[in-house]
Amino acid sequence: MNQNVKRMMVVLVFLLLGFFLTGCGFKDIDKRLFVVSVAIDPVKENPKRVLVSLKFAVPIVEKISNESFIISQEGDTIAEAVRLMKSRVDKEIDFSHAKLIVYHEDVLKDEIEPNLYYWFIRRRDFQEMSWVAIGRPTALEVLKAKPKSERLPSNSLFLALGRDGTETAYIIPEYLFDFKKRFGEKGLDPLLPIIETKKDLFDINKVALLDKKKLKLELTPKETMLLNLFLTESPKTALKIADGENSFIIDTRAVKTKYKLITENQKDPHIKVDIHVNGRVEEAQFNVRNKDLKQYEKTANKDLEKKVHAVLKKIQEANVDPIGFGLRYRGRHMEKDDWKTWQRLYPELKFIINVNTNISDTGLVE
Amino acid sequence: MNIHPIKESIKANIQQSEDLVIKELKAEEKYLEVIYINTICDETQLQDFLIKPFFEIGENSHFLSYLLSHPKVKLFDSKKTVQEELISGKSVVFFENHIFLLDSKLDKNNTVTETSVEVTILGPQSGFSESLPTNVGLIRQRYPEKTLVIESTNIGSISKTSVNIVYDSKKVDQDVLNKVKEFLSSIEIEMFQSGEQLLDFTKKSKRTLFPTIMVTERPDRTAVNIAAGKVILLIAGSPFAMLMPTVLKDQMSAMADIYQTYWIGKFLLIVRYIGLITTITLPALYVALTSYNPEVFRAQLALSVAGSRHAVPYPSFVEVIIMLLMMELLMEASIRLPKAIGSTATTVGGLILGQAATEAGLVSNIMIIIVSLGAISNFVIPISTFSFAVRVSKYFILLLSIFYGLVGVILGVFMLLAYMVSLDSFGKPYLTFREERV
Repeated sequence: MNQNVKRMMVVLVFLLLGFFLTGCGFKDIDKRLFVVSVAIDPVKENPKRVLVSLKFAVPIVEKISNESFIISQEGDTIAEAVRLMKSRVDKEIDFSHAKLIVYHEDVLKDEIEPNLYYWFIRRRDFQEMSWVAIGRPTALEVLKAKPKSERLPSNSLFLALGRDGTETAYIIPEYLFDFKKRFGEKGLDPLLPIIETKKDLFDINKVALLDKKKLKLELTPKETMLLNLFLTESPKTALKIADGENSFIIDTRAVKTKYKLITENQKDPHIKVDIHVNGRVEEAQFNVRNKDLKQYEKTANKDLEKKVHAVLKKIQEANVDPIGFGLRYRGRHMEKDDWKTWQRLYPELKFIINVNTNISDTGLVE
Repeated sequence: MNIHPIKESIKANIQQSEDLVIKELKAEEKYLEVIYINTICDETQLQDFLIKPFFEIGENSHFLSYLLSHPKVKLFDSKKTVQEELISGKSVVFFENHIFLLDSKLDKNNTVTETSVEVTILGPQSGFSESLPTNVGLIRQRYPEKTLVIESTNIGSISKTSVNIVYDSKKVDQDVLNKVKEFLSSIEIEMFQSGEQLLDFTKKSKRTLFPTIMVTERPDRTAVNIAAGKVILLIAGSPFAMLMPTVLKDQMSAMADIYQTYWIGKFLLIVRYIGLITTITLPALYVALTSYNPEVFRAQLALSVAGSRHAVPYPSFVEVIIMLLMMELLMEASIRLPKAIGSTATTVGGLILGQAATEAGLVSNIMIIIVSLGAISNFVIPISTFSFAVRVSKYFILLLSIFYGLVGVILGVFMLLAYMVSLDSFGKPYLTFREERV
């Protein structure tokens, strides 16, 4: 019995000692200010400094939601700006729900300072499944926008980028962890969706392609959609097929893209791309007949081949690699200087596109 | 045999009390003396089996042979037993040179009651009574096997409560049976009133949290468990049977599982386990998530939790403790209160207090949901002794979560699991999920 009491006492003492180890982790949820999105803008006068803006969500009280406020602060680094901001708010700034980081274009135009994205990865409370994007006209403007359908601050952007809400092939979302990976990985280059704001509306249908240092190329909405065929598993979209003067539109239900690097033959290195499109006719400028479906498929194949080829060529000419051809090459080759070989190969590679469209029906009963 | 000294010594040894009756019967040449305690003795039996025949049967020798052949009458054993039997309700009869014991025990509370603790929708609705012979009878009815063994023993140095050990000799695990008998003989207790008292004796330290003996009021559950090879204790004066060994999965099973179809039964079982996990972890998770790791919530939820906590002056754990305490008081109060106003207490406590507490800004709306969900989940557990244990153990995890956040919850659950793993019920590991043949 005495032995037991002794042991209990020891346990109790350790438990009590343990209570001192908890530090200052305890902070009630109502004593925190939740950041929902972060904007990084350049400072015109001093290119070394950055303007950091944080959008804070105001807690929902009695049916009043979508209340938020933005605080901007200049600083030499993000960390410094955030520390300065802490003295301007009444509660602890909590980044755990910050799911969007928006950069101004100009930050990326010349060389991007790695700290501008590494800071977010280093922070414990920053989730690496946050999205990264470019904001237009400025990053701050994107934070300020407040669409009518929004019920929580920045939530409409989260829904659009996260595909929880709208599902479209024109948006290529980019996660922070993936963004970081693409900066470090040879043969896979970073890309960022561009969010344009006009009044309280968003437009996310372009993508900016970067090499390891700076912004290189911006794709048009249509090109973005075609690039997305390579990046997303069976995206839902509508493909416009030009047929001479006329055109028709295929509503895709499944798109499968495969590619193969054929580089063993040094004379004629090429990338063979196979695209399977499954869909039905959604709109047409002429009378569509069921018996002509085979012919429409042929037209679609040709047209798509041409368009995809153009996009890939454009990307190749900018010497960026968002799809990761280089990574695939490195993965399949074991030579010492495989990366150098690839760098030499890539600019002059040919693309052989093979599209196989399958139109199931015209969407109408004849 | 000279019965006089014995008679006198019995009279001398029994404390004089109001209910002790010493009666002399005389008829012609017959003379009989009877001693009994009228409060625990069934006087109609006395009348039927002793007094009537005494006056109806003429001759002395005839009456003697009547007594000798009557199944309820036993010849004298020894002085000590006579006294004990007298106290337990038998009548001592002195006739000629013989001493007889007439079994005229008053069998009170032998009405079969409806189940009130383990209620099922389907299946038998009656529970045990408070009378031991009636309860044995109920089991015999449900388990008509000739291998059914009923052994008798006494527990309690003062109460001398008679206890029956019931099992199927063909199906019982001999190791378990030996352990149960060893366990029963090791119990040192003065007043033994109900089987629940045994729970604390299952551990050497006599401090138990999780019950390793099941307490049930259902004869059907008892019969099924005999068939599964378990040992049953029936205690005189208690409408509950004790089933041994009992592990976690037994505590979580309800009789309705058998009476439902397979998938419904399985579904209900899963719901019950979800309830178990919820009730143990929910308050702790609330503290951990609101005060340490709000990133686990979705943004919407985090904002509405933050909003609902806006007016609350105390940190989350004070809020939780206030509410849990209120809930415990409510539950205790509703047991104590008479049935007629029991529902008033729940209404006043649950609805009005809860509503007022949120409006006064003492606790948040979300907190009310958490506490009531935790309480409801607790009631899902079918065996009440286990449900009490669960009710207590959630405080342990709550305490850890207050100081260590989410890590504390994980640590607490882990420690609770480790504790359960260390338990065994008469040699059977507590967390086993192996099905027995039924």
